[in-house]
This record gives sequence, C-alpha cells and structure tokens, in this order.
Amino acid sequence: MLCLKIFKKQAEGTGMGLKPAPAIDLSTPIDMCPYVVIDTELTGLNPKKDSIVSMGALKMSGGRIEVGNFYYRVVAPETELTGSSVVIHGITPSEAAEWPDIEMLLPEFYDYCKNSIIVGHFLNLDMSVINREMRRLTGRRFENLSVDTYKIYEWIKVHSGDSSRHFGANGNGDLFSIAKKYQIRTSEAHNALTDAFITAQLFQRFLSRLPGLGVRTLNDLKRIGKH
Amino acid sequence: MILEDVIEFLKKAPPFQFLDESVLKTVANSISMEFYPKDTLILKQDGPPSESLRIIKKGGVKVYMQSGSDDEVVIDYRGEGENFGFLSIVGKDKVRSNVKAVEDTICYLVDKDTVLRLLNSNPVFTEYFLKSHLDKYIDKTYREMHGKSLFYGGSDRLLFTTQVGDIAAKAVITTTDNTSIQEAAQIMSKHKISSLIVTDGKDLPVGIVTDRDLREKVVAKGRDVDEPVKNIMSIPLMRVDSKDYCFEAVLKMIKHNIHHILVIKDGKLQGVITNHDLMLLQGTSPLSFSKDIENQQTIEGLIPVSKRINSVVSLLLKEGAKAGNIAKIISELNDRLVKKILAIAEKKFGASPVPYCYIVFGSEGRKEQTFKTDQDNALIYADITSKEIEAEANKYFHEFTLFVRESLLKCGFPLCQADYMASNPQWRRPLSEWKKYFSRWISTPTPEAVLKSLIFFDFRPLYGEFGLAENLRDYLIKTLKGQNVFLARMASAITKNRPPLGFLKTFIVEKSGEHKNELNLKFRGIGPLVDIVRLFALESGVSETSTIERIKALKEKHPVIKEVGDELEQAFEFITLLRIHHQIERIEASAEPDNFINPGTLSNLEKKSLKESFQVISTAQDIIIEQYKPGMVGS
Repeated sequence: MLCLKIFKKQAEGTGMGLKPAPAIDLSTPIDMCPYVVIDTELTGLNPKKDSIVSMGALKMSGGRIEVGNFYYRVVAPETELTGSSVVIHGITPSEAAEWPDIEMLLPEFYDYCKNSIIVGHFLNLDMSVINREMRRLTGRRFENLSVDTYKIYEWIKVHSGDSSRHFGANGNGDLFSIAKKYQIRTSEAHNALTDAFITAQLFQRFLSRLPGLGVRTLNDLKRIGKH
Repeated sequence: MILEDVIEFLKKAPPFQFLDESVLKTVANSISMEFYPKDTLILKQDGPPSESLRIIKKGGVKVYMQSGSDDEVVIDYRGEGENFGFLSIVGKDKVRSNVKAVEDTICYLVDKDTVLRLLNSNPVFTEYFLKSHLDKYIDKTYREMHGKSLFYGGSDRLLFTTQVGDIAAKAVITTTDNTSIQEAAQIMSKHKISSLIVTDGKDLPVGIVTDRDLREKVVAKGRDVDEPVKNIMSIPLMRVDSKDYCFEAVLKMIKHNIHHILVIKDGKLQGVITNHDLMLLQGTSPLSFSKDIENQQTIEGLIPVSKRINSVVSLLLKEGAKAGNIAKIISELNDRLVKKILAIAEKKFGASPVPYCYIVFGSEGRKEQTFKTDQDNALIYADITSKEIEAEANKYFHEFTLFVRESLLKCGFPLCQADYMASNPQWRRPLSEWKKYFSRWISTPTPEAVLKSLIFFDFRPLYGEFGLAENLRDYLIKTLKGQNVFLARMASAITKNRPPLGFLKTFIVEKSGEHKNELNLKFRGIGPLVDIVRLFALESGVSETSTIERIKALKEKHPVIKEVGDELEQAFEFITLLRIHHQIERIEASAEPDNFINPGTLSNLEKKSLKESFQVISTAQDIIIEQYKPGMVGS
C-alpha cells in the first residue's frame, strides 16, 4: 500500500504533475461542475510574442465561488513591459523583476486548474499564450475543457429574446461593460485576480440563467461556450 | 484585493465585526459566494439542515413559514449585512422556515465547521447569536427593552438561555454494569425510555446504553443477550453541568455525534438530556400548533391545544418577531381554531339550509389579537323568500351558533359583554338585513350607531360563503361615499379620546385608584390610532381591515397617510410591542394580562419613543379635527 502511494507520487512527479486530468462526465448538471475561472495579464495582445505578467484564478463549485481559494501570481517578465501595459496593470519593470519565473509557476498553475473546467473572458488569448509557454517549457498543453464567458454572453443575448431590454442595443463585449450590465461591481485597476473574480461573478449569473434557456448539462454548456 | 473586500464587509456585519482582524482573515479564507436570482428559494422549510451560515452581501430575503398548500406567514425580511441559517446549523435540525430571495441576492457563505469553531473560541460571537435570536430584527429601542425585560432573564426557555438542569429528565433510571443486556432492554421498554444509565458498584455512572447500542451492537451483530450490559454500553459519558445552557449541550452533541448527555448537579447525577428534549425546546413553533389544530376531531381535543397558543406569543417574542407579525401569526392560529370549531359544528348539525358566512370583527377582524380577546362574531346568510326555509334556518342557526359560542368559551374565548355574537339573533341576519343595518347607521349616525360602526365595520369573513361578506363590504364602501355627516360624527367620536400627553409633553397617568401612576396603552394609544386609520380607510373606500394593511393601502390614496403613514405605522408597532411585552410579563408572574403600564418604569429611550408615538397620534387627530370642523359643530 505504502509502495503504491510512493509510486503514484513519482508517476505524478515525472512530467511535473502534468498527467491529463480525468474527464468530467458531460452529462453533469452545470450547477454541479467544478470550474476554475482564470484571467491573465499579458505584456501585449499578440499571442505569438507577448508573455504573461500575472495570473489570477478562482475555483467555483457549480455556482458557488470559493472566494478564499484563489490563485494569484505575478510573473517575472520575459519580454519587455511596454509603456502602455504598465499603465494598465500598474506594474513597473523593476517591480516585476522580483517575481518568480514562469517556468516555476506554470506547473503549479496546472495543478491548481486540474480537474476543473476552465472559464475565462475572451479565453482564446489567455489560453494561446499559456499553452505556447507550456509547450515550450514542458512539451504539453492544458487539456481541460474550457468555456468562454463572452461566447456564453453572446449566446444568451441571442436566445433570451431580451437583448435590447437587458443588454442594450449595441452591447460592448468587454468584461467591464458586461459586468456593468449585470450590476457587478468593478474595481478601478485591472488585475488578473480581480478580473478573474468579475468573470466568476458574471459566470455565476449565467449559470443561474442558463437552465431556463435549456442549457442544463456540461455538454450543453460546451456546445454554447467552447472557446 | 478580493479578500480585503470580504474582510471590509465582515467588519460591518455583526457579529463578525467583533472578531479580531486575524480571525476575520481565516474566516475570509474559507468564505464562498453564491448568487440567487429573485424568487430563488434558498432554504426550504423542513429541508435538510443548512451547511452554511449565509450573510447577505447584496439584495434581500424573506423568511417565512408555510403550512398547508397556500398560507404563508412572513416572519422577517433581512437585508445587507444580515445573516440566516444559523439555528439550523447549531440545532442540527431540519430547516424551520423558507428563505426566499426577494430581489437578486448575493450571499457570502461561511461553512458550518468555521461557524462552530468561532462559537467555541469567541465568546462575543456566541453572545451575539445568543442575543440576536432574541432581538435580531428589532431596532435599538426594542433592543433596550429586551435587555432589561424580566422576561429575558431566568424564565426564558430557549436554547441559549435555558439551563440544561431545567429540562433534563429528572428521575433517572439506572442499572448496574453486570445486569444482562436482556434485562437492561426490559427495563428500558418498561419505563419507555431510550437510554439507560449504567452505574458501578458505588452507584457512580460509568456508561450509558441507548436504543442505538441495542440496535447496532446487539441486534445487528447477533450478540448474546445474556452478556452483561457493560459490554455494549457507551463510554465515556459526556457530561454537562446542570447550570450549563442547553446551547452548550447541543454543541457537545454535535461535536461528539451523540444524542444523550448526563446532567451533573453538585457532583451527582441529576438526569439525562437528549437531542429530543432539545428539539422539543425549539419546537414550540407556530406550525406545530396549526398541525395540532388540524388533527383534532372534537372540541375536547381542541381545548388543550388552544391553551398552548399563548406560549407561541412568548416564543415569537423571544425569536425577535415584530409585534405586527406576532399578532398576524396569533390571529392566524386563532382563525384556524375557530374554523375547526365551525367545521366540527357543521359535522354535528349537518349542512346549513341556506349559504352563510361567519364573520369576525373588532381586533379579531383586524387580525390584531395577541392574547385571547372577547368573542366578536356574527353571521350573514343568504336572503330567503320561503317562510318554511326561514323557520328551518332560524332553528338551525340558533343551535349552530350556540354550540359555536360555548365551544369558543371552552377554548378560552370569553363571551362578549355587549353580546355582539352570532348566537344573538340580532347579529344573525340575512344579507339584505345587514345592508339595512349599515345604511341606517350611516344615514342616522346616533352615538350608538357610530359606536356600532366602529366595531362592525372592521368585519372580515372567516368561514363559509365569503361572497356574502364581500357583497356586504362592497355595499358598505358604496354607501359611505359622500356621507360626510356620518364621517364627521365618527371623526368627532374618535378624537375625543386624546393620547395621554400633557402640555409639557409629560405623560398623563391615573391620579388614583388601582392603576395610580399608570396609563392604559390600549384605550389611550392603540385604540385612538386604530380609529384614525379606520376613519381614513372608510373615507377612501379601502376594504382592508387590519391597521397596518390599511395604512399600506392608503399610502397612495390618502393625503394624511401619505404624510404621516410611516410614523403611524411605527407608532402602532411600538405601542403594540410594548403592550405584548407587558402582558407576557404579567402572564409569567401569574397575573391576568392587562393594558396598564407605569411610564416611570420605562427607559429613557422607551419613554421618548412612546412620547413620539403619542405625538403622532395627536397630530393626526388635530388634522382630522381641522378637516371636519364644520360637520362636528353640534355633534
């Protein structure tokens, strides 16, 4: 028994704990799935070139946000911080130099996200950069099922029939504009964790709304929100 | 960032605000957050115990009880910074009321283990819940009232203030440790007990055998029943001191997952307390009463149930319910009781020859009863054309109403001194006769007619064909339109009785006699206020009968209520609560509940609130006098 445990630990250890997580049953009701809501701050908007400045994430069990169980790390920059991103994040190059390397953080982040469905707003950009770095450093990528809150938002807008009333005629798709429509409080400064928290609250609203629109299982959610 | 926000929020939310910052940090770490769209049922009555304490971050909830399929009784509304689900956590009991989001609501959830840990390690936290379940919903004035009331001292019977010694089974059945399992089981079944204390040779308790032990260790395992009982008894025994509060016993039970605890007094075994005892302590709920009422088939069966309704009042007060809600709940219970009596009467006498409606008026009609008040009831029946049926109806209703009157009396409702009861043929009339009564009172408002109007116009249907009462109500509203002479007479009558405030805003009290230095809250406070609101309701054609509902309905309709409606509502709430408290104190001191209080015994804050309440009444009366001046001349 003891041997088995050690062996198992080693097996997980090789490849830095990057064993693919067991898949979650697609028939699970959406309010019972484990989610991890993530956001990253990048040095810019180019997924090929820019790198991660900070990562923030929160766990959710169904619609319940585990506020205390969060993940937040600021990463040592690989590419230069450009002037404009300093303005957005308020992190200066000298500050960022003190933080750990992305090499050390990614496995830890991978473990944090393990067994959960990844949720994010305009998730494509975040996941492109994260997976680019993952591949470069470990040769693997995040295999989690992931859904984009922007896609879900657009879907609800089309299918709820109250697009003009609730969403405004020309809805702006950025996180803060949508959060405002749902009266979710937004903070002044962008930060990977606070943005992840706003995304989580937005997703929380969606989860309570979706069953009424026929989206009940993880499979349904995947259909409308896969990034 | 996120946690800082949580901590900042908790710093403003009692009782978390009393905790150290370091403790708050650990709480924040374990916190989670849920969103409930409007109308979500968050906790369901009789559902499984809640696993978290929920603190409202944004939005609001309604706490209510439901019995039967439709009737709901609102216990409370809670808003931002307030919490719910506590009793269900510590009591390990099923949820006792429904909690529904009345708007989009966000809650922070503190899990059960964290709450229990805080209760164990932070006296202020414990103290808060101990207190807040007495006065959570109530403003500062009420809180002060609670703080000093006798009623919250030693005689309180709730979880937090009852000592285990008071409710523990006194005569403990014991047996020695070498008794056989079979004998022990025989002793238990003979005495109908679920646990048996096992003692050693020196009569000291060494263990306990419970139903559960017999089930799990004997029957399930096929153990030989000749074995000594010590082989299956549970040790060690948990003990509490007889002076400990029941609440501490509950905590021990939860912690050790046991259902029996020994109660020790002066080093000796005093008794045993079980989770059932504790549940009974909490279980004096209004709902259990209404079920009890439903289950009775005879008047004799109803008598003991009705006697216990008073205890609901004290329970509700202890749970911090508002006076208005207490009266509503009590009226609801009394309604059920009366309906049951009528149902039994119908069974006894058979169906009535013509449709009828049993109506109640006075405080019963306004749903403002607290303790049992005089019977005020009447009967409307459908108009009859045939002489034969009329004779039959007369005979039937005569016997029927006599039976109801006597049954009500047996259940503790005293007879009406003025004989305003359905058993009086004058108040048992066909619909058209009732209409004649009303139109005569209105067109010829003699003092006696006005007096009758004050009483009867608060009628509401209780049983039978409600349409008859509704028809009469519509008729009344229609007939009152433009009847300024009548309204002026009523205005004149009700403004004669001024609140007992002197020129320098001092209380006017009785100068001599039995109630020297006291004032009558009912006749000088509640009565005038009820009268004012009734007058406005009659003026504006509002059909509600309860004072609070009338005020609510009048807010958009009546200029005076628009202006002072909120103040009148608060004044009504305050004086009523003061009166209920007073009456409960009397009852607990084995005296008849009355309406006399000595303002000298009130705290400064209470005095101030009472003066303000009287002042509002006085102001409203002045407005009425001004408005009806011409019509009042010569009245």
